[in-house]
Amino acid sequence: MRLALALCAACGVPDVAPPLPAAGHAAPVEGGTLRFSTKDQVRTLDPSVEYDEVSAYPVHAIFDTLVDYAPGSTRIAPRLAERWTISPDGTTYTFELRPGLVYSDGSALVAGDVAYSLSRARTLPSSPFGPFLANVAEITAPSARELVIRLARPDASFLDVMAMSFTAPQRADHVAAAGDQIRREPLGAGPFVLARWDEGRVLVLAKNPRYWDAARVHLDALELHENVPRDIQFLMFQRGELDTAERLSAPDYLRVIAQPAWRPYVLTRATMNVYGVRMNVRQKPFDDRRVRQALNYALDKAHVIKLLQGAAVPSHGILPPGVFGRDDALPPYPHDPARARALLAEAGYPHGFDVELVTTSDDEADRLGQSLQYDLAQVGVRVRITEMAFASYVTAIGSPTGPAFALGTWQGDYPDPTSFLDAQFHSRMITEQNSNNDCFYANPELDALLDAARGEGDPDKRAAMYHRAERILYDDAPWIWSYHQLMTEVVQPYVRGYAPHPIWTRDYSSAWLDRSAPRSGGDSPVDRGGAP
Amino acid sequence: MRSRMIGQIMKIPRLARRLLADRGAMIGGILVLGLVALATIGPRAARHDPTACDIDRGLSAAGAPLPPSGDALLGTDELGRDVWARVIAGAGTSLEIATLATALALALGLAIGLCAGYAGGGIDRALMRLVDLVLAFPFLLVAMLLAALLHGADLAGTIAPIVITLGVIGWTTIARVVRGKAMVIARSEHVAAARALGASPARIVWRHVLPNVAGVAIVLGALGFAQNLLAESVLSYLGLGPPPPAASWGRMLFEGRTYYQTAPWIALAPGIAIVVAVVGFNLLGEGLRDALAPKDAR
Repeated sequence: MRLALALCAACGVPDVAPPLPAAGHAAPVEGGTLRFSTKDQVRTLDPSVEYDEVSAYPVHAIFDTLVDYAPGSTRIAPRLAERWTISPDGTTYTFELRPGLVYSDGSALVAGDVAYSLSRARTLPSSPFGPFLANVAEITAPSARELVIRLARPDASFLDVMAMSFTAPQRADHVAAAGDQIRREPLGAGPFVLARWDEGRVLVLAKNPRYWDAARVHLDALELHENVPRDIQFLMFQRGELDTAERLSAPDYLRVIAQPAWRPYVLTRATMNVYGVRMNVRQKPFDDRRVRQALNYALDKAHVIKLLQGAAVPSHGILPPGVFGRDDALPPYPHDPARARALLAEAGYPHGFDVELVTTSDDEADRLGQSLQYDLAQVGVRVRITEMAFASYVTAIGSPTGPAFALGTWQGDYPDPTSFLDAQFHSRMITEQNSNNDCFYANPELDALLDAARGEGDPDKRAAMYHRAERILYDDAPWIWSYHQLMTEVVQPYVRGYAPHPIWTRDYSSAWLDRSAPRSGGDSPVDRGGAP
Repeated sequence: MRSRMIGQIMKIPRLARRLLADRGAMIGGILVLGLVALATIGPRAARHDPTACDIDRGLSAAGAPLPPSGDALLGTDELGRDVWARVIAGAGTSLEIATLATALALALGLAIGLCAGYAGGGIDRALMRLVDLVLAFPFLLVAMLLAALLHGADLAGTIAPIVITLGVIGWTTIARVVRGKAMVIARSEHVAAARALGASPARIVWRHVLPNVAGVAIVLGALGFAQNLLAESVLSYLGLGPPPPAASWGRMLFEGRTYYQTAPWIALAPGIAIVVAVVGFNLLGEGLRDALAPKDAR
C-alpha cells in the first residue's frame, strides 16, 4: 500500500482523497494544537514596532485592541471597547472599555494603558507608527474605563487606525521592566499568550485562560514553524505535520487543485495587495509619462494571471477590489503593443531602450519577471533582470537615486484608500531614505485631492474624489499596473471554524480541530498520526 | 632541430590510432562530437525560439507546463517555452562558457607554471604559495564571491563574469603539473645545450619547454573542460550564470526543481544533458591521457 502510494507520487498522479478526514462533530471540539508555518521568521512581538505580516500572526493573537474587524469582514466591531461615540464634528472619539478587563497575568487593564501605548508609538524611535497619529491632538483617560481622543481634523480612517495592533494597551511598568527584552516578553489581553519561542525555529502560543471572550477560543495552543520554504511546507502538510499551508508554489497549487476531493479545503481570499512594476518618475526615461503608459500597454495581463494559475485579478490602479473608493468601472490598460510602440516613438525612443529590472529572489517573481521581459522585448524595451534579497530590495527602492525600474508591491494596513493612495503617492511621503512614496511621484493636484478626501464626511463625495485620484494615477501611470493576488491556503479537512480574514492573515484564534481525540502539542510525528 | 621541438605535436597520427583503439575514448569522442553538432547546427533546426514565452499555447488552461508531444519534443517549461529548444541553446551556452573558461585557465596555468618551473628559486616559491592560497579556499565560496563581484561591475548581462570566475579558479592544477614537468625539462641536457649555444630564457621556454608540456596541458584542458561544464551548471543553478532569458542547463535545472513531481521533464532534460556532456568530456580526456601516457613516463 505504502509502495503503491509512493509510486503514484513518482509518476505525478495525485493522491485521491485527503488522508486525514474530519470526525464530523457538530459543535466545536475543545483543545488541540494547530500547527502552521511561514517561509520567513518573526522579527518582534512588540506591537509598537511590529510592521510586517509574519510578526503580525503572533502579535494579533497576543494583543487585543479597542476595536477590531468583525469575523470575515472589513467592518469595525467592538473588542476591548464595549462602545464608542464620535462627536458631530468628527474630531472627538470617546471609547468605553468593557468592565473587568485583565491582562494575561491577571493584572487590571485600564484606559490609561491605551494612552500609554499611543504615546509610546509616537516617541519610540524604532516605531514606524508615529505618522499614523500625526492628526491626534490630545489623548486623555478621564476614568479607568473611558478614553477620549481628540483629532486636529476629522479623519474618516481613524477607527481603522485604532484597529492596528500598535494601539493595543500595554502596561507601562511591564514595558519598563522588560527593557530590551520587550520583543520577547509580550504582555497583552488577547486570546493567546506566548508559551515558548525558539527563535527562527518555532513559536508556541498557549490559550489565555483569563481572556475576556474565552468562549470564542477552542484551541489549547498555536504552533508557528519559522523559516520553512514553500515546497517543504507542502511536504510537511502532506505528511500531516502541518494543519494549514499557504502561498503554495505553482506546481504544488496545481497538484492540490487537480484533486476534486481536496478542492473544498482550498481557501481563496482577496487580500489588500497590489503588484506591478514601480518606476522612479524622477529618472530617465521614466520621467516621460508616455513611456510609462507605453509599458502599461505592453504588458499582457492575461498572461500574468495565467502564470499565477488564475489566482489573481488584473489591476487598473493601486486600490484592490473591495476597498472603499475603488472605481470598479475603470478598465485595466489593454494589451496593445502597437500603441506601446507608437507612444515610445512619440517620446523619442523609436528603438526602445535598455533597462534593469530589480526584483526579489523568489520563484514567482522570477517567472513573472521573465514574462515581463518577453512582453517588453516585443516593443523594443530590452530588460535585464537583477534579483535581490527582500531586505536589500526594500532599502534600494526607497532611495531616490536607487533602481528606476523595480518590482512594485504594496499591502494595505487597513481597508481604506488612505492606506494605499496617501501612503504611496502623496508627496508628503517622499523621504531621502526608505521613502514610502518610492516612485518619488509628486503631483499637487493629487495631494490636494487626497487631503480633501481624507477629511470628507459624506461617503458619496469621498468616493467620487477617490475615483478622480484613481483616474489621475491611471493616466500618469507611475506603476505598470499588473494584478491583485488572491491568497490561497489549503487546510486539513479537520480544521473548522476558520475562514481567511480579509485583513488579518492567518488568524486562527477561533479555529477548532474536528478530530475524535484532540491531539496535544507533542513534537513527535507519531503522535500526530491520528485515526487513519 | 625544429622537428624535435614540435615532436609531440607531430605524433598526431599515432595519437589518433591509440584513441581509436580505446573504447572509452571513442564513446567520449562521439558524445563530444554530437554535443558540438547539437550546439552548432541544432539552433537552426529547432522549430521554436528558446526564449519565446508562449503562455497561450505552451501552457495548459490551468497554467501548467505541457508534457512532451509532437510539437514540443521534450515538453514545455513553466513559461511555455520549448524545453528541447532550450536544451539545444543551453548546449551552446555551456560549451561557449566552458571553452573560454578552459582557454583562460590554460593560458594562466601554462604561463605561471612555466615561469615557476623554469626560473625556480624565489620566483618558484612565491608562485607556488599563490597556488596554495587559491587552492585553500573552498571552490564554491570563491566562485560565488567572484561571480557576485563581477556581476556588480559593468559586465553583468554577459557571460564574462562566469568565464572569468571559472578561469581564475581553474588554473591552479594546471600550473602545478606544468611547473613539475617544466622543472625536469629545464634541467635536461638538451636545454643545457641550448643555453650553452646562447639561447635566451624566453626562447628556451618557448621552443624547448613548452612543446614538451603541451601533451600534459591538452589532457588537463580536456578534464578541466568537463569540470567547467559542471561548475557552470552549479553557478547557473545558484543564479550566478548567464542572466535570463538566456538558456543554460544549470538555470533550467533550478527553474524546474519545484516541478519535479508535476512536470519532471523540465528538470530531467537539462539534467541528462549535463550528465552526457560531463561523461563525454571526461572519457575523452582520460583517453587522451592514456594515449599520451607511454611518452610521458609518469
